[in-house]
Amino acid sequence: MPLITLEGVGYRYPEAEPPALVDVSAAIEPGQVILLRGPSGSGKSTLLRCLNGLVPHSTGGEFRGRVIVCGLDTRAHAPRELGAHIGFVFQHPDAQFVLEDVEAELAFGMENLGLPLPLMRKRVEEVIDQVGINHLRRRRIDTLSGGERQRVAIAAALAVHPQALVLDEPTSQLDPQAAEDVLQVVMRLVAELGMTTVIAEHRVERIAPLVDRIWTLDSGVLKDQPPRAALAEGGARPPVVDLALRAGWSPIPLGLRDARVYAQRLPRPPPYPPPQAGEGKAHYPLPRAGEGRAHYPLRQAGEGNSHFPRAGEAKFHEGDFREAGAAPVLCRVENLEYRYNGVQAVRGVSLSVRRGQVTALMGRNGSGKTTLLKLIAGLLRPQRGTIHADARAAYVPQDADALLFASTVEEELRGQPPEVMAPFHAWLRRYPRDLSSGERQQLAIAVVAAQADLLLLDEPTRGLDPQVKQALSAFLRLRAAGRAAVVIATHDVEWAARTADRVLLMAEGKIYADGLPAAVLSDSLVFATQISKLVGGGLLLPDEVPV
Amino acid sequence: MIRHPLAWCAWATAALAAAFIDRNPFLQALLLLIIINVFIPYGAARRIRIWKIGLALAVVPIIFSVALSRFGTQVLFTLPDIPIIGGRWTVDAAVFGASTGAALLLTVAVFAVLQTTVRSADLVAILPQPFYRAGTTVALALAFAPKTVASLHSIREARQLRGQRAGWRSAPQLLLPLLLTTLERALQYGESLDARGFGSRRRSRYRPLPWSIADLLIVVGSLAAVAAIVLMPPQPYNPYLDLVPGVPTVPSLLAVLLLATPAVTAGLSRMDHAAHHA
Repeated sequence: MPLITLEGVGYRYPEAEPPALVDVSAAIEPGQVILLRGPSGSGKSTLLRCLNGLVPHSTGGEFRGRVIVCGLDTRAHAPRELGAHIGFVFQHPDAQFVLEDVEAELAFGMENLGLPLPLMRKRVEEVIDQVGINHLRRRRIDTLSGGERQRVAIAAALAVHPQALVLDEPTSQLDPQAAEDVLQVVMRLVAELGMTTVIAEHRVERIAPLVDRIWTLDSGVLKDQPPRAALAEGGARPPVVDLALRAGWSPIPLGLRDARVYAQRLPRPPPYPPPQAGEGKAHYPLPRAGEGRAHYPLRQAGEGNSHFPRAGEAKFHEGDFREAGAAPVLCRVENLEYRYNGVQAVRGVSLSVRRGQVTALMGRNGSGKTTLLKLIAGLLRPQRGTIHADARAAYVPQDADALLFASTVEEELRGQPPEVMAPFHAWLRRYPRDLSSGERQQLAIAVVAAQADLLLLDEPTRGLDPQVKQALSAFLRLRAAGRAAVVIATHDVEWAARTADRVLLMAEGKIYADGLPAAVLSDSLVFATQISKLVGGGLLLPDEVPV
Repeated sequence: MIRHPLAWCAWATAALAAAFIDRNPFLQALLLLIIINVFIPYGAARRIRIWKIGLALAVVPIIFSVALSRFGTQVLFTLPDIPIIGGRWTVDAAVFGASTGAALLLTVAVFAVLQTTVRSADLVAILPQPFYRAGTTVALALAFAPKTVASLHSIREARQLRGQRAGWRSAPQLLLPLLLTTLERALQYGESLDARGFGSRRRSRYRPLPWSIADLLIVVGSLAAVAAIVLMPPQPYNPYLDLVPGVPTVPSLLAVLLLATPAVTAGLSRMDHAAHHA
């Protein structure tokens, strides 16, 4: 008997025109893992909220059909009763905690169920081990990072021994390492406890090999499919699946391990860097060559940071050198130093950014990326070193929401030229905070950076679905083609490989690698794309691999 | 080191009574010293951020009183006939303002102690069942305050990014986004509470709050202090009648001294609340 049944569920938010869900029918058997996909705004959160009765109990609106959770009809039972059966983890790491410290938070759900103290103690210890947060148990919630908070939230949900765990994009607000930690926990629960799990997630690479069914939502219409069929059809999917479809591999591999077998059959690409000028292109296509991207060595020998390929060993096209000379330097930074709270955030960074260049700035959390961007933007004053910029710099912070507070999109965009307004035509009347996260991100960039020549973006892809990411990528390439320079601090390797002409790696406040994405990202364990891990040879994206 | 929240409530009530009923400056000075001594063992780990507000509250009454009051005999100087502030400025008025200011400063100090010693969640936990939901709402509202300040900062930074001015004049424009952010967060909290089964049945306690000897001593001391103030009320200090304060009466002195109980008993039972059942 299914654990959760949805029968003809339709839902419309109060005062909303189009319905959020249209005739959704599906069932979840005990132990199943369901991946819920769909572009932002397609109704994922709404559907998940149906499973514990938040829709329609806390949202109001027009609800049709029925949802049966563990034998309880959600129309008749309030979310607080369903809370004993469904553990729910929300998208925002900071909005779901009630108490001050971790242990109290873990016990909160059990206190609400009125469980006796000895049982609560036992379960607190157990979830602490299960989720691996023993080192956090005495900490105050407000001192935890986003990833730590999400793990605590999962542990708190788990403590009431729910029949199913429902996670609403638990990693969308996290950097990749933290997201990885959180997904690890989810995967362990699935593997060790056989936990019934419904998870909405854009990062499908990690969990695709684990899931039993994929639910794809589009404008409120649900498609319930086996994983391979769903991934073959489109939507968010791992790069190996793209490659498998191009190469005609069958059955489609869902993860790297399955794909290795097939990858043996591919022609071996020569190792990167290419042997000689002119020969490189003959052997295998350079990343997105001919699409207007300039390939040039970005740094002359002796400029300080190491190069990919290293200075002296690098062999580039002569034409590339000429192009490098042609693009004027828009911003030059020399020997930048910045320290705050006793931490040397940026130490001795020298860098020039040229017009027409999209640069990805990567590195672990706390490596100084954000500080460097803020220094270039002029938001922070360097303690040492010089910044020389020929154009107006615009910085778009991580949390784009804070930038938007007018009552309509039109009002946000007031005073912008028509070409900036044009893409937002359909939304002009809407309330900015009702837009989906991807739409808000686009709007924030337009508002802050529409007219700047030097765009500095901090983690712009956080929480965006693949389509929006692609649109953002195209937009930034377009701006670069219009002779702007773009610098993006990002953790998103796949997206950086698709978007950037140049990659900088940063650690401990210093830039330690600088060069073409194909060179930098393929010679890395951490910052390698899935395809690069599979095939190697400087190939980063599925469409670059010769099949 | 944690004391029972009810003990702290009793202490705070007594301290506020002492601060307001008897305005004797000697006692006020003594009381301030005692409050500081209570704060040090219990709240030393946390920084007080509201001392600026306390100082402002202490200074503002002086200015208002001296500029607006025309009573008193000890004339400082006489202004020409300007509306509102013109006329005699007196020492009496200034002292009266200072006395009020000192009482306000003491109030802020008492609440600073409460803020560092009592967790809002514990306070909610001791509320009787019928008030539980209401109490939790209040506790949540309190928890919101620091987050609201944080969002105010991010909104101000965002406005700077958009090239708008960040001076005080922009404050009204900050208000709306701030309100929106706070409301959105409140809605999310509500959802989270619901999803986690809050208020579905009688709650159990993960961390029972036991009474210790020190808690009882604080309660007894505070009740005695209140009793002394209420039963033997002192002649309140009034600078307009007599600029020189009288010698404090024995009951008021005793009452203020009793408020030092938490400081005196701070060494008793050094038990960490979080480790109660470790």
